Amino acid sequence: MRAFNAELSKLFSLPGIWLAFLIGAIAPAVIAALDSIAEKEEIIAGVSTRLSEVGYIGLVLGVQGVIILGVLAVSSEYLTESSESGGGQQITTSLTVVSSRLHFLLAKAGAVTVISILLCIVAIMTTVSATHLVLGEYAPAFEWQRLIGAICYWTFTALLALGITLLTKNGIIPLAVLMINSSVVSFSVLLYRVTKLAVYLPDRAGAEMFMFTSDTFTGSLFVRYNTPFTGGLVMLAWVVVIFIAAAIVFHRRDVAA
Amino acid sequence: MSVSSSRKITQILGAELDKLVTLPLIGLTLMGTFILNLALAAAFTSAGLQGAAGTQSILNIGLASMGYLKAGFIILGILATCSEYTGGQIRTTLTTIPWRGFQLSAKHLALVIITIPVAFIIAASGILYTFIMMRDTAEVIEIDTMIKPLLGATGYLTLTTLLSAAIGALLRRTTPALVVLLGYYFIVSPLTRVFLPSIKNYLNFFPDTAGSYMYMPPSSDELNVLTPMQGTGISMIWTLSFITVAIVFYRKRDA
Amino acid sequence: MLTINNLVKHRGNQEILSGISFKARPGRVTGFLGPNGAGKSSTLRILLGLDRATSGSALINGKPFAELHNPLATVGAALDGFGAHRMRTGRAHLRWIARAAGLSNSRVEEVLEIVGLTNAAGKRVGKYSLGMGRRLGMAAALLGDPKILILDEPVNGLDPEGIRWIRTFLRERAQSGNTVLLSSHLMGELAETVDDVVIIKHGTIVADGTLEEVIGNHSTLEEAFFTLTSEIAGAVV
Repeated sequence: MRAFNAELSKLFSLPGIWLAFLIGAIAPAVIAALDSIAEKEEIIAGVSTRLSEVGYIGLVLGVQGVIILGVLAVSSEYLTESSESGGGQQITTSLTVVSSRLHFLLAKAGAVTVISILLCIVAIMTTVSATHLVLGEYAPAFEWQRLIGAICYWTFTALLALGITLLTKNGIIPLAVLMINSSVVSFSVLLYRVTKLAVYLPDRAGAEMFMFTSDTFTGSLFVRYNTPFTGGLVMLAWVVVIFIAAAIVFHRRDVAA
Repeated sequence: MSVSSSRKITQILGAELDKLVTLPLIGLTLMGTFILNLALAAAFTSAGLQGAAGTQSILNIGLASMGYLKAGFIILGILATCSEYTGGQIRTTLTTIPWRGFQLSAKHLALVIITIPVAFIIAASGILYTFIMMRDTAEVIEIDTMIKPLLGATGYLTLTTLLSAAIGALLRRTTPALVVLLGYYFIVSPLTRVFLPSIKNYLNFFPDTAGSYMYMPPSSDELNVLTPMQGTGISMIWTLSFITVAIVFYRKRDA
Repeated sequence: MLTINNLVKHRGNQEILSGISFKARPGRVTGFLGPNGAGKSSTLRILLGLDRATSGSALINGKPFAELHNPLATVGAALDGFGAHRMRTGRAHLRWIARAAGLSNSRVEEVLEIVGLTNAAGKRVGKYSLGMGRRLGMAAALLGDPKILILDEPVNGLDPEGIRWIRTFLRERAQSGNTVLLSSHLMGELAETVDDVVIIKHGTIVADGTLEEVIGNHSTLEEAFFTLTSEIAGAVV
């Protein structure tokens, strides 16, 4: 528990984390508002087909915030990007403070999980208010199952980011890959055109926890394959596998290596 | 300019090239981008082959990976400038070369020297792969119709790299620079195209969209398209203004 | 000759330096002393053109650092930290510096030999120990064979052998007419190396003179330092 508190205070003292909060809390609302404006025109024109989907697209893209969170949580331990520091890496200090590496990892994952959940709840609140503000009486009711799905999606994504960064020790690659992959030009969508097995990729499977129809623009290809529950399980399986791999590598690796 | 200052410029340029070449991360990024691009070209080609045969243009498919490819070059640009701030190297740089405007310009120039050939090879390899795989199914295109978009793609990637380097120099930290640039190129720019079709004409004046006209084969169904030359001009203005802003800040602030 | 004249530096609302003046003369080793956060590094950074002074001037042979024609051959500087990217090898680091100043690669091997890093030159800087990093910094400072050396905490992290080497090396440099300015908080070490002493506290100079003058009636330099910098007896000069 003490290690967990330490991880929380480490995360909150990182300047980059505020960028993550800003993106995670604000971006979904802005995107949802834009989506709602487009949707309103369709409603007025009487051609609306996807009212129940409005707003969720913001939650898909807002996951960028927790990606930054997960990557920073690990890369900040290794990175020394200050003009004053000689060559010290925080990881050396961290591992002398919490001697068990497994405890250290669990504490870190716990801190990231808690922050992701809170951030997602904030994002949901801003998104729902944005949709209501724009759509007024047309605003759809948000179903709580799907919102829980979104929270799971955010948390799992943050943990994936954390696990991958632990393997690479460098924030650049995971940040680039994950950010692009959760954007409009996702690799998974491309791969889906090559092989249908791509539906089992973590982001694709995970998104099924709360994205439903094939009509939103992320998924002009978004045909349902899994139920929300199996989709969540598939993504969880990815998280577990990557986490175990990361834990093994982290356990064996010399800190200086 | 005396003889000695022109020699000084070559020396500084040489030093900046040395810095880029001896940084292992840069080599790794370029290698990774090359391999990833081939993999993406393979994916697009295979997706294209599954589509209706004969209607696909090799050029369109070969350049489809450009959308992802720019990520590698964004990273390259950021690494080039942000690496100065690792381990306090910036102090060594500025005590060796105290002429800050000169030094940062030389760094951008060195980056151009490295980026142009690499961007050309990577973009060409994607098209070449598609060409080999789709020879039989797609309409055959002439070499000289390929050259222009290829040069455009090289130019686009180079300007993107320089823009990223300038933003890296402004922000000085890798992660925020990466988030800002990837966020713009992969999230904000495509989203505005989808959600705000009404301002489409203005989007042409932003670096991403304007730059894409440098290599995009002209399509007839769109109004308000820019010519490759206009696209080049607009992206060049963006890149140069960001470099200028970066230099102004670099000269003013404490290292 | 290094001339610091009425130097003021503000950072935010904080006043880091409040009008300090002193000189470092050729043929002498000048020690720049002060507790942590007194403004030693800030002064050296302004002198090297890294930071901008709010007012006042810090000149090298009468010119600001950025106006020197060949900075590497005029001033050698080693500040705190390694000053090198972690992923580069020590040799590659020195080579780009040499390239920028138009020096040959054989000069790089010479300075590596002087500071005793030849065997570690192919290793990445990130793997260096603190002492090796300091040696790399010294090597970079010596590349252009400058007449002036500016060193921030040069003995920090060095082993006893390294400390003795630095001491004799700096004495030799000064005896052959060069200017050496070094900051430190190791009194005993400094007393054996320097000719002149400047003591700074809270951004103001509290003592400036030859070693004998500054020690004055006190038994040692350390004694003098604590009397001059302690809060209670701050007014004694």
